[in-house]
Amino acid sequence: MINDKSYYLDLFSVTENDLQSLMQESLRHGGDFADLYFEDTTCSDLLLMDGEVSSGGFNIDYGVGIRVLKGEKTGYAYSESTDRTSMRAAARAAALIADGNASAGRVGAAVEEASRPRYKGRPNPAADRYPMLQDWRTCETARLVPFLDRLHQGISERDKRVVKVIAMLSSQVTDLLMYNSLGELKYETRPLGSISVSVVFQQDGKIENKSVSRSFRAGVEMLTDALADELVAKAVDRIDDRFGARRPKGGKMPVVMGAGASGILLHEAMGHAFEADFNRKGQSIFSDKMGRKICDSSITVVDDGTIRGNRGALNFDDEGVPGQRTVLVEDGVLTSYMHDRISARYYDVKTTGNGRRESFRYNPIPRMRATYMEGGQAAPEEIIASVKKGIYVDQFSNGQVKIGEGDFTFYVQSGYLIESGRLTAPVKDINIIGNGPEALADIQLVGNDPLIDDGTWTCGKGQSAPVSCGIPTVLIKKLTVGGE
Amino acid sequence: MTSPELLTREERELTLKCMEMALAKGAQKVRVTASKSVMDLVGTLNGEIDKVTHCLDRSLSVCLFVDGRFGSFATNRFDEEGLDAFLDRGISVTRMLAPDPFRDLPDPERTAKDALTGTELNLYDDYYERMTPELRRRLALDASLFGKRNGEEWTLISEEAEYTDSVFETFLADSQGLRCRHIETSFEYGVEVTLEDKKGNKYSKYWWDGTPMLKDLDINACCPKAIDLAVEMLHPKRHRSVHTHMVIDTEVASKVVSPILRALNAYSLQQNNSFLLDSLDKQVFPEGLTILDCSRNAGESGSRYFDSEGVATRPTAIIEKGTVRQYFVNTYMAGKMGIAPTVEDAIRPKVMPFPRHGLGRDEILSLCGEGILVTGFNGGNSNAATGNFSYGIEGFAFKDGRITHSIRDMVVTGSFLDLWSHLVACGEDARLCQARLVPTLAFSDVDFSA
Repeated sequence: MINDKSYYLDLFSVTENDLQSLMQESLRHGGDFADLYFEDTTCSDLLLMDGEVSSGGFNIDYGVGIRVLKGEKTGYAYSESTDRTSMRAAARAAALIADGNASAGRVGAAVEEASRPRYKGRPNPAADRYPMLQDWRTCETARLVPFLDRLHQGISERDKRVVKVIAMLSSQVTDLLMYNSLGELKYETRPLGSISVSVVFQQDGKIENKSVSRSFRAGVEMLTDALADELVAKAVDRIDDRFGARRPKGGKMPVVMGAGASGILLHEAMGHAFEADFNRKGQSIFSDKMGRKICDSSITVVDDGTIRGNRGALNFDDEGVPGQRTVLVEDGVLTSYMHDRISARYYDVKTTGNGRRESFRYNPIPRMRATYMEGGQAAPEEIIASVKKGIYVDQFSNGQVKIGEGDFTFYVQSGYLIESGRLTAPVKDINIIGNGPEALADIQLVGNDPLIDDGTWTCGKGQSAPVSCGIPTVLIKKLTVGGE
Repeated sequence: MTSPELLTREERELTLKCMEMALAKGAQKVRVTASKSVMDLVGTLNGEIDKVTHCLDRSLSVCLFVDGRFGSFATNRFDEEGLDAFLDRGISVTRMLAPDPFRDLPDPERTAKDALTGTELNLYDDYYERMTPELRRRLALDASLFGKRNGEEWTLISEEAEYTDSVFETFLADSQGLRCRHIETSFEYGVEVTLEDKKGNKYSKYWWDGTPMLKDLDINACCPKAIDLAVEMLHPKRHRSVHTHMVIDTEVASKVVSPILRALNAYSLQQNNSFLLDSLDKQVFPEGLTILDCSRNAGESGSRYFDSEGVATRPTAIIEKGTVRQYFVNTYMAGKMGIAPTVEDAIRPKVMPFPRHGLGRDEILSLCGEGILVTGFNGGNSNAATGNFSYGIEGFAFKDGRITHSIRDMVVTGSFLDLWSHLVACGEDARLCQARLVPTLAFSDVDFSA
C-alpha cells in the first residue's frame, strides 16, 4: 500500500530539507553513499489456547537507520527518535566508517551502477504488490477473535483425537520512508498477516503433533472462509499416517521431493550459496561458478519479489531498489547472484533488489524473497513410478546448510517409502543429508506441478526476513537418509 | 563507587508513571519493564575494517490485568503523550479478550527483594565507560590473522570477525510494589574463517569468546583457534553407518540438554507436548545425570536475581542423580495446572561432572576408546512429544582414544530418554561464556547413519 508522501514525512516528523541535511552529515567524512531508513512498525498478535482467545498484545517499533558506505565498507547507526539532535548523532556515528582508519574497497567512489544485465528479469517497480484493503492497525480485536474460534472448533470437530489446539494470528504493518544520497525518495506501507496452528493428538497413549501456517502480504481481508477451511483441513490431514509412521532403514537412496514446502531445501541448500555477499567474501561454494553449468538443463531457479500478496513480495527492497524477478539458474547455468548495492558495485552489475533488513536496527544485506524452481515436463506420478526403492518427502523442518562446504541436513516431518514405484509405509523423524551443489546436479526429473508454499517461512541470517519457497516434484538420484 | 546508570532517572520515573497511568485508566494490576542497551560493533573482513555499528535501544513492556483479562504490549516510544494513547489502546484490546482467571502477578512473597542497584551480581565492568571508537578498532584489527598464517595444504581465503561491546539494563516494577534492576556489560569477539585446500574444497569454522569483563576476554586466541578447528576438518572421509560411542564436544553439547529443559517447561507439559510428562520426582534419567540451576553465580554472564515476572531465582537442582526435581512453572501456568509455581525457565543450567571431577575431552575419548566425536550439528530436529531426534553431525572418528579422521555426511538418530540411559561421562570443561554450562558428554550404543 502506498500513501501520499506527506503521510510519511509527517509520520516521521521530517521535511525533505531535513533528509538532505542528514545526508550531508552522513557523508562529512568522505563516505561515497548514504541512505536513511525510517520505520514505524506495529506488530499485533492474538493467541488461542485451551479454547479461548485469552492472550494478545501489540508492539510498536519506531526509528531511523542511517548507513554510510565507503567502497564495500559499512558504517551503521540508528536512532529510536527522529528528533534532529538524535538523528544527527546517529549520522555522525555512521559516518565514522569513512574516516582515516577505514580504507576504501577496490571499487572506490563510483556510485553509479553499471547496467550490464546478466539475467532475464521482469522488473516491475510500478506495481503495488500488496494493496491492503483493511488495515490491521484499525481493526477491532473483536472482529478477529471469531476467526481463531472457528479454527479451534473446526479442528476439534474434525478429529476426536485432538487434545490441544494452539492458534496464533499475527499481523505486522510497517510504514517506511527511505532516502539516499542519490536523491531517491521511496515510501510505502507493508502489511504482513500470519496464522499458525499447532495441534496435539492423542491415540492409545501415544502423542503426535502437527503444525500448519499461512502468511500473506495483505490486510484483514485475507481472513476468508476459504482460508479457515484450508487450515482446518491441513491441520488434521494424514494424521493417521503420522501415528503409523516409522523411521525407515537409513542409507543412500533416491529421494523424491514433494511439490511446495520441499522448496525449503532449495532455499537453504542452494539459495544461500547464491547470495552475493557469501560469494564476494569467497565463502560460497558457487564463488567461481558464474556463467557455468551447475545442473541439468531442465532446471531453472528463480528468486522473485513480484508475486502479488506473497510473503516475500516487495515493491522495492530495503535499499529502495525496485522489486524484481531474478533468474539465478537458467537452463542449468548459473546466471546471477542475489545482490544488494554493495555486492552489485563489487561485481559491476545491476542490483537485483535483494537488499533486505529485519528493521531499522540492521543494515541491509542480500536476502532471498520467494525462491522457487520452475516446473518441468514430468508428471509427479511418473516421477514416483520411476523409483524402485527410495523415499518420498513432503514436509521438512529445521534445515541447515554450511555455506562454504555446501553440506546440508534437513529434518523430515512426513513422507513415505517408495517401493516398486508406489508410495507405501509412512515415515517420520528422519534426516536427509547431502551437499547442495551435488544434490542440484543430481536432480534427474523435474515435475510439471510447480507450487509455492504460503507457510510462515522466516529466513535467519543474523537478522530475520519473511520469505517463501517453492518447488515442483523432483527426483534426486541419491541422498543419505538417516534412519534406524 | 556510584551505581552505573544506563536507564536515566527520568526513564525510570516514566516507567513508574506508565504504571500509574495504566491503573488510572482501569487496569487492576500492572507490570512494567523498561530495558535499554547500547552496543558498538566493529566488523573486520580479511584484516580490514568492514563495518562499524552503533546501536541504542530502549523498550517499555507493559502487562495489563484488566477485568480478569490479560494483555501484553510494548513500545520504544518513551514520550508521555505517546504512552497515553498506547495505554488507551492496550486496555481497549485487553477488554476484548476472553477472561482468564489464572492470569495474575506473582505472589509478592516469591519476588526478588535483593536486586536493588542492578550490580549485585558483579556483571558490570566500569572499564566499559572508557571504551572509545579507536580502542574498539584496535582490538578488532589486532586480533586478525589474515595474511599472517597459511599452511602447506590450505589457504585462508576468508576471515570475517566482529568485536562487540555492550551494556544492558532492565528495570522491572509492578503494582504490588516490586522493584528490580539488573545491569551488565558484555565484551565479545567472534570469527569465522574459511580455508580452501588444494582441490578447491572449502572448510569453515567459527570460534568466539564473551565475558562481562574486558580483562577476561581472550580475544587473541579466537582466530588461531578457528583456524586450528578448520584445519582439523581437512581430508574428511565418509564413514560407514555404525553403532558406537558418541562424544559431544562441550561447544555443542547443549544440543542434547536443551530439549530436556524445554520438556520440563510448564507450557510444554500443559499442552501435552513433552516427552517428560508426569516425571516430577521420578527417576527417568541415569544416576550420573545431575543438572543444577546456578542462577546466582556472581560474575557469570546469564546469572539473574529475577525472572521476567520478577520472581526471585534460587540455586536449585533441576535433575538430581537422574530424578527430575523441578518443572519450570510461571504464575499463569501454576494456576492452570494446579501446581506450585517455580521460575519460568532455567536461568543458568549446569551439568555436573560424572563419573569424576576434572574430565576434559581427551580423557573422555580415552575412556570411550572408539566412536564418533561430534563437534558440530548441521540441521535436524527433535520431536517434543516423543523425544525422538535426528541430527546431522560433523566431527571426527576416534579409535584407542585418538582422533583418526574427520567425517561428514553423517546423521545421529535416537530418542533422548534412550540416549541418556547410555550416559558414560560428563566432563568438567564447559566454558563460562556459554549460556548453558554443558561440558563434553559421552554416550554408548548410539546409532549413526552414513
